[in-house]
Amino acid sequence: MKETRRSFIRKGAAIFALAAGALAVFTLLRQLVPRMIGQKKRVKVGKSNTFPVDTFTYIDEHKIYIYRDHEGVKAVSAICTHLGCILEIDEDGFLCPCHGSSYNRSGEVLSGPAPRALSWYQVSKAPDGQLVIDMTRQVKPDAKFLTT
Amino acid sequence: MDSQDRGNIQPESKVDGNRSSRIRKITKNFFLHIHSTRIHPDNLKPTYTFGLGIILGFLFLILILTGVVLMMYYTPSVERAYQSVKDIVFIVPGGRLIRNIHRWASHGMVFVLFLHLARVFYTGAYLKSSKLNWIIGVSMLVVTLFLSFSGYLLPWDQLAYWAVTIGSNIAASARELTDLIGITSGFDVGGFMKRILIGSETVGQPALSRFFTLHVIFLPLTLLILTGVHFWRIRKDGGLSRPGYQESNRDDQPGSEGRIYTWPAVLWAELAILLSVSAILLVIAFVVDAPLLERANPAFAENPAKSPWYFLGIQELVSYSAFSGGVIIPLLFLIFLISIPFIDREKQYTGVWFSGSQGLRITFYSLAVSLIVTLALLFVIVQFGWLRDWFPGMSQAVVMVINPATLSMLFYILWSGWVRRRTGSTRMASIALFTASLAGLVLFTAMGIWFRGPNWEFFWSRSDWPVI
Repeated sequence: MKETRRSFIRKGAAIFALAAGALAVFTLLRQLVPRMIGQKKRVKVGKSNTFPVDTFTYIDEHKIYIYRDHEGVKAVSAICTHLGCILEIDEDGFLCPCHGSSYNRSGEVLSGPAPRALSWYQVSKAPDGQLVIDMTRQVKPDAKFLTT
Repeated sequence: MDSQDRGNIQPESKVDGNRSSRIRKITKNFFLHIHSTRIHPDNLKPTYTFGLGIILGFLFLILILTGVVLMMYYTPSVERAYQSVKDIVFIVPGGRLIRNIHRWASHGMVFVLFLHLARVFYTGAYLKSSKLNWIIGVSMLVVTLFLSFSGYLLPWDQLAYWAVTIGSNIAASARELTDLIGITSGFDVGGFMKRILIGSETVGQPALSRFFTLHVIFLPLTLLILTGVHFWRIRKDGGLSRPGYQESNRDDQPGSEGRIYTWPAVLWAELAILLSVSAILLVIAFVVDAPLLERANPAFAENPAKSPWYFLGIQELVSYSAFSGGVIIPLLFLIFLISIPFIDREKQYTGVWFSGSQGLRITFYSLAVSLIVTLALLFVIVQFGWLRDWFPGMSQAVVMVINPATLSMLFYILWSGWVRRRTGSTRMASIALFTASLAGLVLFTAMGIWFRGPNWEFFWSRSDWPVI
């Protein structure tokens, strides 16, 4: 078909309208996904001698368990890898109150729907003597920050 | 009501006198104009529709009215939300009653919605009407469920917080799949979905603001528009479905005397339903208080953290696997619901409950078969545990694909396929699949409501729960 001025303008207008609409929708929907999520990734939890020995201590502010024994300190996430409930601890390990996933004391999944093992975080010491838990760095379950 | 107002039982001359005024009553009134001026008497049979659709309409209306009242006092901020709900309950005069009505009306709406879905399905109402109206109905189901879910967070109590934490992590559960393939760091669909839903990694102020906006503006408006189109489609499809599709043209002819005037017959029926719904709601709201737990505490989960009852079926499914139980199976069920009018066009079954005796038989068989199979699977998982208990260290992929939820779904599909082969009828196959999956849903829901306690363990009754 021969391109007339009318059909050309019509096509052009349609393309512009589509492009503008797509851009508007994209701009609108983009609002829904915030760019930065303000979460502290490195946290201070206090001096190592404030934690009881051979025990998992729950830090509710950061949702982590700190384990201390005579050699050193470890830190593990207290959030169930299944659907994000807070884990409870007993002699056998961690237990999720929401859907019954259970982990051993090394954070490996024993039963239930949890898809992954728990994350262990790197522990270090700040100049003021407080322990620093770096939640951006994961370590092996047996890696300890030696305090002796 | 005097005798002149009754239907069309008077002699012709009197009817003619009333006729135009009755038609005018409907057509001249903006609000009544939603009705046709005359309807087929079969549509008023209580045992055909049970008035479920109109009950839903009234419940929605009641929810809007009470919701507006609640909004006057509610503050959607993390610091103040819980206290403002407490104010509504303890300080605002009548606030507790309004909140109770709102809560129980929403529960009622979900319940009646499923009944309505079953009614429309089992009477084959989707066969005569256009496919569009069935799809709109299914969309309204989804919107209503989201309305309930978003409203659930607003009181900001423990249950609200943890139910929505679980919900948002279900949205993120595609990570289970991407983790297996090992592409989560580059292509995190789950995390993206979660961020769209709650605007952050954990439930907080962004989530509350989002859910508030969804709950008071976006979703009600969507539901209102869908309701309008739903009603309009019923008119366009020639009124509610009824038996005798082939002969329907005869009734549609102008001047057919089989139809009765909407004013007043239908309006009386609707008024009766509105009054009954209001009365029942008022009684329930007087007697039963809507629960309000402690203020949300992100550091400690409620044990057990149970969603409202209509999500406990899904919660039971996610306790096998978050991704397959929380995303894949509900999605497949939804796809099945939407596709029903496309796979089944056997119009001769329109308007007959269960499509006659064969359909009734298949409904019963499907019910029995589904209950037996699902119960057997539940028995196994409760009594003997599942794969991880038998083979420690079992891979997540296997747990995701093989669990009671997926197995029972597979069985429902096989059963439906077998019915299709035996009867050669797509309608019977749909009845089999619909009945089986609905029965399964009811069973999983019952399991979640009554038989799951702390740590999601099985208990025969609530009184057996350990003290924590």
